[in-house]
Amino acid sequence: MAGIKALVGLSFFGAIGLTFLLLSCALDQYGVYWPLFVLFFYVLSPIPTFISRRLSDDSDVASNACRELAYFFTTGIVVSAFGLPIILARVALIQWGACGLVMASNAVIFFTILGFFLVFGGGDDFSWEQW
Amino acid sequence: MHMEQSMGVHNEHQKEKLRTMSGFLESIRCGDCECNVDWGERRNTIASIGAGVLFFTGWWIIIDAAVKYPDEATFHHAYHTCGVIATVAFLMINAVSNGQVRGDSYSEGCIGQTGGRVWLFIGFMLAFGSLIASMWILFGGFVVPKKPVVYPGIAVFFQNAFIFFGGLVFKFGRTEDLWQ
Repeated sequence: MAGIKALVGLSFFGAIGLTFLLLSCALDQYGVYWPLFVLFFYVLSPIPTFISRRLSDDSDVASNACRELAYFFTTGIVVSAFGLPIILARVALIQWGACGLVMASNAVIFFTILGFFLVFGGGDDFSWEQW
Repeated sequence: MHMEQSMGVHNEHQKEKLRTMSGFLESIRCGDCECNVDWGERRNTIASIGAGVLFFTGWWIIIDAAVKYPDEATFHHAYHTCGVIATVAFLMINAVSNGQVRGDSYSEGCIGQTGGRVWLFIGFMLAFGSLIASMWILFGGFVVPKKPVVYPGIAVFFQNAFIFFGGLVFKFGRTEDLWQ
């Protein structure tokens, strides 16, 4: 079933993303665990979209202010997940190599989350019984 | 049922792809996913995402400057006010809808049409004011006194410029039409 294949594929990429993140912390030449703070942003990123889908059921109108606000905040969370490692590297709390690994992890994880929304959350009848 | 329909479309699409494989560029299609939205409906999404990128990039620029130069002498902490006012202006501008100001929305809202216009007016004045203030801070606070480190001034300017343009994109980049 396509649902299971997509699920396995997405979880694989999620694991790859988290591997990059842990590599940025745990490799011998890096050694500091500051990059794990982006996990906070990973967890936070789907929440505005969930809230807006729950609150409004008129998904057939072209403009939906609640959904657009959710996209705005989600973009902000994604930008923050990219901004934090850059700031950490700029003040030499982490090295630039670790920063690069965290950015790679960000890209993979956010594409995974986007993939989840496209594959499992899309459509007008978003419900919690998609599984 | 939605999944089976999209599976059917996917199979058709694969067969068609095999037929047109002779020119490999012909089989490249953009926007090939199963979501059936056109660019009209995408406009609001793109505007929201663009505004989010601009707004939050502005804030991360000032966070970067604040983290690099934490002492008061290089980066006077009162300069943060400019970005805060710009954010307040962003919220004010986007709190009222264009329809409410024009008078053609369904409900009057708490403050009515005139109240909406006054609110929008004040919001835009704060937005323009904070943009001008950021330029003043850059030139008056950093360039003219020939400070050794100019980066905080540039950061304040770019923060406010990004927040301002993010506000504009969020306000005017989205359409409020109920039907396209």
